[in-house]
Amino acid sequence: MTPMLEMNHVSKLYGEHHALKDLSFQVHEGEILCFLGPNGAGKSTAIHILSTVLSYNEGRISFRGTRVEEQLSHYKRKLGIVPQDLAIYEDVTAEGNVTFFASLYGLRGDMLRERVAEALQFVGLYDRRGDKPRTFSGGMKRRLNMACAIAHRPEILIMDEPTVGIDPHSRNHILESIRELRDQGSTILYTTHYMEEVEEISTRILIIDQGEVIASGTKEELKELLGDEKWIEVELEDASELSEERLFRVDGVKQVEKHDNLLRIATVKGIENTDKLMAFFVNHGIKVKHFTSLAASLEAVFLQLTGRKLRD
Amino acid sequence: MAQFVQSTRGFGMLWKRDFMNLLTSPVMLLTNTLFPLLLILILGYLTRGQYGDTVTSYDYYGITLLVFHALNVSMTASNSFMERKLRASNMRVLYSPIRTSWVYLSKILATFVFTTLCMGMLAVLLVVLFGVYFGGKDAVYVFVALALFHLFSAAFGVWFCCLWKSEELANKILNVVNNVLALMGGLFFSWDSLGRTAETLSYFSPVKWVVDGLFRIVYDGSLWSFIPLVSGLLIGTALLLLGCKWTFRTEEMV
Repeated sequence: MTPMLEMNHVSKLYGEHHALKDLSFQVHEGEILCFLGPNGAGKSTAIHILSTVLSYNEGRISFRGTRVEEQLSHYKRKLGIVPQDLAIYEDVTAEGNVTFFASLYGLRGDMLRERVAEALQFVGLYDRRGDKPRTFSGGMKRRLNMACAIAHRPEILIMDEPTVGIDPHSRNHILESIRELRDQGSTILYTTHYMEEVEEISTRILIIDQGEVIASGTKEELKELLGDEKWIEVELEDASELSEERLFRVDGVKQVEKHDNLLRIATVKGIENTDKLMAFFVNHGIKVKHFTSLAASLEAVFLQLTGRKLRD
Repeated sequence: MAQFVQSTRGFGMLWKRDFMNLLTSPVMLLTNTLFPLLLILILGYLTRGQYGDTVTSYDYYGITLLVFHALNVSMTASNSFMERKLRASNMRVLYSPIRTSWVYLSKILATFVFTTLCMGMLAVLLVVLFGVYFGGKDAVYVFVALALFHLFSAAFGVWFCCLWKSEELANKILNVVNNVLALMGGLFFSWDSLGRTAETLSYFSPVKWVVDGLFRIVYDGSLWSFIPLVSGLLIGTALLLLGCKWTFRTEEMV
């Protein structure tokens, strides 16, 4: 089956620096592909390239099998972008904002009015359609940012961290809307820093680091990558006295990473050693501030693959 | 054909939005109306009696400061193009299927219409309040030339943004450039009286050509400089538009 959107061996150079290195992936119709990566991994670069505002040095991008450059206007009509920065006019009403951006996609008359109302209802701002965004909360602005991207009913929606810094109510509203869009058959490419969002909405996940794909698959497939390991994260009050080598004497400990007062410990999955680890710290007079097991979570997979937490 | 019509409608929508952004910005409104009016009032008042009976100080500054206002339209244009508050929204416009060039052409046209309307309003006030003389029946030539200078200046401001990739940097440089051009063009005092070299240098400033041309129309009733003046401004605008086409890159908005 021809993928809806395909990035094929795409590279992007900034001077000598490779922002994207031979990046290849496909987005299939009806899926929510979550794009994960630490800061500077190349997520935003990839999204800017897909939204056609950024050029690339090598490779090919296709929409339904045809090179994007050969059908630029058609491709842009089928694309909806929810950018990370709020791309709305603060002094224009919510309705005015959505109407303006939708009209750039050729919508006119009754159809325009219907789609604008539909988009505002969808994000829960219809009752505030006559108000200006400068009177809105951060979350409401984010929802309006989304309405501006969906009013022309795009076939594929690219969302770049749409829930950054918003209240739980708006965040839930946005996630609920995404699920609804998926149920209606929309295809979504979604980037986020919040692993719990990925767990909630993704049908497939792509992890990139330093401009390259380092893993892809469903949640379950990625968790399989952990093999027989589970990760434990321990925050100590003062880890300066700690000898990491001694930790290997605890049953099951395979790997220890120390970042200031934070320890990340990989242990064998079947061995119950939490009490032994706790006892180790107590016996060495080291105070534990937090102790978290990352067993079989996407966070643990991410940590194992990139050596960093998603929000590092 | 249908695609052309749709594209043209898209341009119309974009232009309307850009024009409204200028019209609803208090800073832009004050910069283009009250500020030049106050400047004319203050300079005209301070130098009253120094220009004889036929030409008053208000007549002189009424014209020279309208030229100064036209020169500073470049900063209004760069503001409407890449101001931080509008940058992300402009970015969203670039995601849409309209032509990329519409984005900067729309800013130039919106700035031109907005500032020309402001100039018209100012001119009426200057005639009513200070009795400024704009050449009687030849006034239309004065305002056509001034309007074209607005267009040239708007294109200059947008091209400067394309060149320097930032409104802040473009405006910092434009501020200096405009003031130097205004001084060399003799807008505030007689630059030519500084000597032969100063006089020669003044011809490098388009302001000098515009002011000389306008004074000839107003006080000599001579229209011989009108055609070269407007032709020069139109050619200059065309070259600046080409400059925008060559230097504008969507990735600079990212």
